[in-house]
Amino acid sequence: MSIAYGPVRRAKDWDALLGDPDDPDVLFSYPRCLRLDDTEAFPDDICAHLDELGLPAYYVPVAHGGLLGNFDDAATMVRLIARRDLTVAIAHFKTFLGAAPVWVAGTTTQADDLAATVLAGHPIALGLTERGIGSDLLATRTVAEPGDEPGSLTITGEKWLINNGRRATVVTTLVRTSPNAGPRALSLLLVDRRLAGSGGMTGTAKIPTHGIRGADISGVRYAGAGVGPAGVVGGIGRGVDTLLRALQVTRIATTPLSLGAADQALRLGYDFCADRELYGGRLVDLPVVRRSLGRAAAALFVAEAAVLLGCRAINALPEELSVVAAVVKAFVPSVVDDLIHDVGELLGARAFLLDVLHGGRFQKVERDHRIVGIFDGSTAVNQNYLAGQFSRLGRRYRQRRLNRDGVAVAADLARPLPPLELHRLDVLSPNGCSVVQALPDLLADPVIVRTVPAALLAVLGDAVTELHDELAGWRVTGGALPAIAFDLARRYELCFASASCLLLWRYNYEHVTTELWHEAEWLLCALTLLAEWLGAEPDGAADDLFIRLGGRRPEPGWGPPMSIFPATLADLR
Amino acid sequence: MNRTEPERLDALRVALGDPAEADNPVGNAAALAVDERGEAFVAGERLLDAFGFPAEFVPAHLGGRLTRLDHMIHIARTVGRRDLALAFGYSGSTFIASTNVWTAGSPAQQRAVADLVLGGGRVAAGYHELAHGNDVARAELSARRAGDTLVLDGRKEVISNLARADLLVLYARTGTPLGPRSHSLLLVDLTAATGDTALRLLPRFRSAGMRSVQLGGIEFDGYRLPAGHVLGRFGDGVLTATRAFQVTRTALPAIACAGLDGALREAMSLATSRHLGRGVIADLPQVRRLLVDAFVDLLVCDAFTTVGARALHLLPQQTTIVSSAIKYLVPHLLLRAVRSLSTLLGSTFYVRNGRHGMFQKHLRDLAPAGFGHMAPKASLAMLVPQMQQLVRRGWSTPEPADPLLFRLSHDLPDLRYHQLAMSSNGRDALGGTLLAESDAILAAAAGDAELRRVIGAHLADFAALRRTVADLPAGRNGPLPASSYDLADRYSRLLAASACIGVWRGSDGRSFLGSPQWLTAALSRLTVQYRPGRDVDQRTASLWPELHSRHVAMRTFDLAEHAA
Repeated sequence: MSIAYGPVRRAKDWDALLGDPDDPDVLFSYPRCLRLDDTEAFPDDICAHLDELGLPAYYVPVAHGGLLGNFDDAATMVRLIARRDLTVAIAHFKTFLGAAPVWVAGTTTQADDLAATVLAGHPIALGLTERGIGSDLLATRTVAEPGDEPGSLTITGEKWLINNGRRATVVTTLVRTSPNAGPRALSLLLVDRRLAGSGGMTGTAKIPTHGIRGADISGVRYAGAGVGPAGVVGGIGRGVDTLLRALQVTRIATTPLSLGAADQALRLGYDFCADRELYGGRLVDLPVVRRSLGRAAAALFVAEAAVLLGCRAINALPEELSVVAAVVKAFVPSVVDDLIHDVGELLGARAFLLDVLHGGRFQKVERDHRIVGIFDGSTAVNQNYLAGQFSRLGRRYRQRRLNRDGVAVAADLARPLPPLELHRLDVLSPNGCSVVQALPDLLADPVIVRTVPAALLAVLGDAVTELHDELAGWRVTGGALPAIAFDLARRYELCFASASCLLLWRYNYEHVTTELWHEAEWLLCALTLLAEWLGAEPDGAADDLFIRLGGRRPEPGWGPPMSIFPATLADLR
Repeated sequence: MNRTEPERLDALRVALGDPAEADNPVGNAAALAVDERGEAFVAGERLLDAFGFPAEFVPAHLGGRLTRLDHMIHIARTVGRRDLALAFGYSGSTFIASTNVWTAGSPAQQRAVADLVLGGGRVAAGYHELAHGNDVARAELSARRAGDTLVLDGRKEVISNLARADLLVLYARTGTPLGPRSHSLLLVDLTAATGDTALRLLPRFRSAGMRSVQLGGIEFDGYRLPAGHVLGRFGDGVLTATRAFQVTRTALPAIACAGLDGALREAMSLATSRHLGRGVIADLPQVRRLLVDAFVDLLVCDAFTTVGARALHLLPQQTTIVSSAIKYLVPHLLLRAVRSLSTLLGSTFYVRNGRHGMFQKHLRDLAPAGFGHMAPKASLAMLVPQMQQLVRRGWSTPEPADPLLFRLSHDLPDLRYHQLAMSSNGRDALGGTLLAESDAILAAAAGDAELRRVIGAHLADFAALRRTVADLPAGRNGPLPASSYDLADRYSRLLAASACIGVWRGSDGRSFLGSPQWLTAALSRLTVQYRPGRDVDQRTASLWPELHSRHVAMRTFDLAEHAA
């Protein structure tokens, strides 16, 4: 028996369509993307090509005529584009972020209209941030006031640091519709450049950025831009509520960007170490180097497991996304930032030279990826959000509350996902987090107990118990969160990642027979790393595991994505 | 009469002016502009010419101002806090290359190079070949004897300031077989070589950080050099490099501390001005904690490098160990701290211009500072065999260091380059202090239970490390096991901990550096598996007033606490 896991096969098809990225004559190639980065030029023709190939259909729910039925597929697409180039991926995928509030809270007419715009290849942007207010959306100054037409609004103000601010046809804009303080004073509007009136809405200067230098990171100035009643998303005063729900989906859906970046960086690390002669041998033959590669690969697998569970939870556990999204978005980009940094240590001077080693791609992916942990809610913002649910998470864990079937569907790749129901999202999760709450069962599961060394399970078990004792006793005394809350959030993320690894392995191990699954190799590496990150003393015996994993060089050149799951999986169908 | 160190620091600071002023030709806007264009920072270099900056690393007996390495480091940091790329790009290569000359050159060679440097000339250090990286023992560029000339073939790459240097200190293979005497250092007069077709400059190497630093390369094709142009003795290349690099591998990370100092000032400036609700983001405990952690990391790095710099004067036979440990640990901690601060800045970090545009430049500039001049793993690998000697000698009968090592204001004897050694031969007074004086250290911490606990944790780790190292097999074939690197990492942290404890004990008990707060935080962050607990908020609160007052008073965040 094998698993019908479609995304991998679709990814292979797309890779074939896009061509060999090392070939400078290929449109969407590494050499071209490096040149665009150097000259800070937008990848217009590459994005147009992706439009022609039909990528925007993955941003539109099936219910509105697109191909977005689940996030396995969408995530795979994002990951695939990202491992060629993050600038392109972030620029193109932004349309999904701009449209998501409408899929979550818009009327059917709004959604159908916007779907037509997206499918026609128009970029959509999300206008939230303003100059000098950082993540503090409640300080929004852009104002919408009643216009001349009944029900219409006129917008004045400026949005800043907006991805595709100059290019977007529609900017989903957060505005103040009441002078009062608090979230009910804010609304989300669809501002259509084609309808906003000449001069009513203009893009502002491109902002030079640390990474994704070619992207259109700019701003939008509104000088009396008009929006009709059909442009209000989710109702006046519902802006923050709508956003909080839409961001749950987008925050999860952006994390595959990190997997693509990790894939690039790690592959550069393997290539360099395998080809490099040093100290009279190949670099990769030094155990310490091989261990570093193995640890980086294990970190990628940990991130992948969290992303996969997160993406599948959108369909399988939609009520719990307020927790899942905060966890995954805080966790995955941080892990991958560190992974890239660690690979850079192996590359030495080639980590920061622009034209050496595959054209200096490493320094680009390192710079580019840093934005993933910042946009769409930074790590700190997500940890802050998670902390707001600490005491409930502690209680639900103790009560062993568990959506057992939802977890099984999320973890078992052979099971079809239920339809996408974005209206079921909630700003808080009454059930807590079933993935984490499954941990006591998983740690006692006979198959897992037979497979994972008892000492490792004990470390994880203690860490989980200790954390939840802290959470159950969590009292907010008013005022700002103490710093310790951010450490607890991080530990919660590690528990989620541990559960994700255990679940994916437990529900699929009988069907996957590749080397990585033999004797649970990837799982043991992943759990060892997680235990260490949870504060366990490093286990010297684990070195051999990592060294073995570090010896598994991916196919040189342009192979399938680095993944727990083999590319041949689809061929087994 | 030379001006004193404080006078020079002041003069340089005043000359550099207010970095935030838009029309300051050496201010932030100018630094960012040359960084964007990848050009040398001409206005900054003219200012340093006028100050006579190169004299700072020419020994006083040769007419320069170098009497104490820690003073040279302070002066270079004054530049580096503004722009690390200016500090390194202007003269980093001259510093590295000329240190080789002070270490191994004949009196005539030293005189000539001192005159060149004092006269504003540049020297390039030709060690690196891309194909061999840190493995200088296998460097390929060759110099073959032919009568009274040496014939040079091969290339050197990623060499700072090569295209505008007057002199090249060139590391070349001069013998077979490969071994400790197979390489020599040569002096190539680049001004005399102009027009010679047997020598070709390579196109510039561009980099993501330190973009204003001019990284070049050179290719020799049968170039003939007079045989007398050997630095020191023929065949002494490895020996000279090993000795001279103890100075540069200590001093360069010490100067790089300025990058964190500058980044922390940017982060403080944002955190205390960015509004959130009715306050500023620096009111958030987590933001304060990230700022305080970076401050503590800077103090740790400064304590370690300053003690290392003083050790070069006081214990020159032992500094192979401390310089390798510094080269490994300090860049790692500096970069970790700046990366952590970048998360606090959020999207502002990602913007290359504007009020806080310097931050991302500090981050980009620190990365090459860490990897250049020997990678972290190579530094660790150098420590392992030395630890095996130590377990038999210096750790079993530990001797404490001269207390002057830790009394930072105390004067130092001249740096005796000729005493720098190939190996510490099983001696380590910095680590030895921790072992020999553990009782006195614990007694000094008697008033603070938390400090005693964390000191005790380090002492226990040292004991465990000694046992583990003692059990390592004596001889070995093949590459080092991965776990050996972890032992060298632990040892490096213990040496840094000993430096911090020493600075604390060597300071006035009423001063900030004599307070238990910073030391407790420093030692906690140096533990291998640092895991913050409930005390993190309390610790942050205890150090925040010091950090904040230094920021407001425009004083540096390092040990010396100069005017910034």
